Amino acid sequence: MTVRVAAVGYLNARPLWDKVPVAMPEASLSLASPREVARQLAEDEADVALMPVAAAAAFGDVEMVPGIAIGARGPVRSVVIVSQEPIASLSEIALDLSSRTSVVLGRLLLRRLGTAPKFLGMEPGEIASQVAGSRGALIIGDAALALENKFPHVLDLGQAWFEWTGLPFVFAAWCAREGRIDRAQASLLARAKELGLEERGRLAAEYAQASGLDAASLQSYLHQSIRYDLGDAERAGLERFFLEANRENLLPRAKVRLVGDASAQVAVPEAIDSLLSRASQGERLSAAEGERLFTEASLHEVGAAADAVRARKHPEGVVTYIVDRNINYTNVCTTSCRFCAFYRPVGHAEGYVLSREVLAEKMQEVVDAGGVQILLQGGLNPNLRIEWYEDLFRWMKQTFPLGLHALSPEEIIHIGEIENLPVETVLSRLHAAGLDSVPGGGAEILVDRVRKVIAKTKCRSEAWLSVMRVAHRLGLRSSATMMYGTTDTPRDRMLHLLKLRELQDETGGFTAFFCWDYQHEQGTHILPSQTGTEHYLRMQAVARLMFDNVDHVGASWVTQGPDVGQVALRFGADDFGSVMFEENVVSSAGTTFRIDAAAIEGRIREAGFRPARRNVKYDWLTVPE
Amino acid sequence: MPTLSDIEAKVSRGERLVTEDALFLFNHPDLLAVGQLANRVREAKHGDRTYFNKNMRVEVTNVCVASCLFCSFAKLEEGSPGAHTMKLEEAWRELETRMDDPPSEIHIVNGLHPGLPFSYYEDLIKGFKRIKPDIHMKCFTAVEIHFFAQHYKMTYEQVFEKLKAAGLDSLPGGGAEIFHPEVRSRISDDKATGAEWLEVHRIAHRMGLRTNATMLFGHIETFEHRVDHMQRLRDLQDETKGFQAFIPLAFHPDGNGMKNLPAPTAIDDLRTIAVSRLFLDNFDHVKAYWVSSTPDVAQIALRFGADDLDGTIVHETIYQAAGSTSPQGLSYAQLVRLIREAGRIPVERDTLYNVVKEHPRAAMPEAAVKVKDRKAHLHVIGGAS
Repeated sequence: MTVRVAAVGYLNARPLWDKVPVAMPEASLSLASPREVARQLAEDEADVALMPVAAAAAFGDVEMVPGIAIGARGPVRSVVIVSQEPIASLSEIALDLSSRTSVVLGRLLLRRLGTAPKFLGMEPGEIASQVAGSRGALIIGDAALALENKFPHVLDLGQAWFEWTGLPFVFAAWCAREGRIDRAQASLLARAKELGLEERGRLAAEYAQASGLDAASLQSYLHQSIRYDLGDAERAGLERFFLEANRENLLPRAKVRLVGDASAQVAVPEAIDSLLSRASQGERLSAAEGERLFTEASLHEVGAAADAVRARKHPEGVVTYIVDRNINYTNVCTTSCRFCAFYRPVGHAEGYVLSREVLAEKMQEVVDAGGVQILLQGGLNPNLRIEWYEDLFRWMKQTFPLGLHALSPEEIIHIGEIENLPVETVLSRLHAAGLDSVPGGGAEILVDRVRKVIAKTKCRSEAWLSVMRVAHRLGLRSSATMMYGTTDTPRDRMLHLLKLRELQDETGGFTAFFCWDYQHEQGTHILPSQTGTEHYLRMQAVARLMFDNVDHVGASWVTQGPDVGQVALRFGADDFGSVMFEENVVSSAGTTFRIDAAAIEGRIREAGFRPARRNVKYDWLTVPE
Repeated sequence: MPTLSDIEAKVSRGERLVTEDALFLFNHPDLLAVGQLANRVREAKHGDRTYFNKNMRVEVTNVCVASCLFCSFAKLEEGSPGAHTMKLEEAWRELETRMDDPPSEIHIVNGLHPGLPFSYYEDLIKGFKRIKPDIHMKCFTAVEIHFFAQHYKMTYEQVFEKLKAAGLDSLPGGGAEIFHPEVRSRISDDKATGAEWLEVHRIAHRMGLRTNATMLFGHIETFEHRVDHMQRLRDLQDETKGFQAFIPLAFHPDGNGMKNLPAPTAIDDLRTIAVSRLFLDNFDHVKAYWVSSTPDVAQIALRFGADDLDGTIVHETIYQAAGSTSPQGLSYAQLVRLIREAGRIPVERDTLYNVVKEHPRAAMPEAAVKVKDRKAHLHVIGGAS
């Protein structure tokens, strides 16, 4: 079998993978950013990956190849925070999204300096230009080498860590899912390292040539700054990093596990009771821990843990709901998702775009019923231009006193493609025209293997997340969702939660999380798998436990029905969603539930909570009795 | 006032709960804790096995002299709009047309029709038996038996003798509503009293007929009335051992005399299932009747004490008339799937709980197995099962 090897392309990693083709002629080798390499390992596109150690902790079921790492004992030079003003005075830090380890280490070290600036995720090329005034930047990898000595203030994270702990720091290591590679394969990677380290002179020289950077400085970087061992000292440094990061709830509790290590300390898994107790105390969980809770804890246990977390986050015992209306402005769509019964292709006789008259009537009804918001979503209709949306939004906001919660990421991307405009421009213009917040629909499962099956032409996971990132940066809040129960596994669901949680760490822009199972209807091509109420309640409870950084979890009664929605309030939810006037997408799939505000309030009370109406930001609009 | 841990200790010792305990559980805010305790009893009695059967509902007449407030067919006279009484051939055809995949049980519940001869009911049963001699006839609530006795001037024993001779195999549990006179006199004062209902079952048991018992909850009754109801059933069961399953039925308010009341919610459903499982230690089975609670909530009830989902049913009209949104029947495959998705083992049974077919469990979630391994030390002693 071909071993799929993935590695970070940076210069500092090159000595470890340069000779992989020689030491492992059977292996395939792919190079990517740290974030992408970690994604490949998690989503089973790679068997072994040279990737950030923080990602290993977040996944929770990763072993490291002994003896090999990318680390530093003192200055590392290529992981730095730079700024025009003293580091301790910074209010914002632009950062390269691609390395979780550097971000977590950066946060830890800044907290020690007594400062907690806002982090702004950027693409690597944009970062250096962001440095100004009280905004610094966290720069990693080759980009950092190119910018050495360009800024008056520099915090070298390797050096700061060493000064704090007296220990080496490990940034990356060869990682594999548990049991996926054996000692023999690990020893081949060790052989590749041995051969690769011999090549450091050549690699530095080549890179100097290509980059124009000083050759001697690069030689010193590869020979002195970067250390390639993972021995006892490095392991101690890594364990300490995991401990400190867990203490600050930046990473799940993690142990260093090595390939082929059969010691009792790593062989015996944690008892579920202990995991439940940590989860109910709000500790950050790894994907693997979430999966264990989902599959091994009893329904009551996982529900009680989620209920405990809910009670801590919302001690008032209030469950909110919103009075709004879902309007599907068009059903024309170019996507043809295999699970969707709502869309019609372009040119189809049943295709529609709602007129202003119809929209006005629907919105007036919302106003008359005391509603506060319109949820506006539709298909990807290539006939609608950005001006159409801008005009519509301005008209809506001028005519009706309603919040505008509109356009899922998929629609934003679609408008950008039609107009040939970047997502940021699309969102800025729509925001200016009246867009208040962005619904989190269309996330489905943010694992591309699954998306390719169920929604071939839909945007990939990274694109979905990146729309949300931009929206949050512009000050637009959004919800986060998940539709499971197609071809996804429990692990896929956990990776989905992890991706949302990491973005939330970065932006804090998600208000709430909702999940639901795939609502199957005859005529669509995907059969449901692992759906039903037991799965729903487990899934929602585990989501509450995984999302230590998201305030609200809502019960999706529109899909699950008001009965299950009510029970879900005891499984971690603190919101009952909306009193919907219509929901065309779900009702096309044969699920229709109607309920009024009095019935919702009755159910909330019966479940032991006090009801309150809310707006999109979850501010209470009524005083709970 | 007991505490939850007192009750937990009692359950672990296999000690019987008293009224005060049941009231405490009904009022306890932690639904999950109550459910978990009930689940322990359920798993001690049945493990993951979850029962269902292939049954068919037949309602031969909805004409009824009784005026129950909760019933959408109350005081329905022959000839009124919506009134319907089947010809015998019409009733039998329900089975004849299903003989390619026949049910194992026919469940007949009717209105109290003043104008039919008793032979109609005898012939009804005989006809089904002619079509399929091994079909199990689960017919007539205690309320109907009481009505037959009065209307046709017989003792309960005589009614049973004749019906048994025609082919009656067991009795369903309907018509129990709430026994306590404070409630019963207000919601159904012109049919069998609680004492009469219990007496019919006592005699049925004595004559070798197994029966079920229901409770209609979520209308005007209090928790005290529910516990009183269960207490009376438990006492009779101590005496006769003739009950198989207890079936709490949620009141549905559409189109009947209590349409202004809110329907009980899923939380009340689950709590009632759980408390009954804990209180009725001498009942083998607690059934989550999916028609009343919806299949979605019934699935969750399998973790709150229920071990039975009733059956495929095929054609249900009583709850349908009261506004239930549940489907009128579930296919065999749907029931198996419902149980498997809850991590339980689907067991097709006959009416008397003999195993017809045990299906394999699903791979996910594995919770039930692993949890039990982990909690092996928490031994639960089953009741008189």
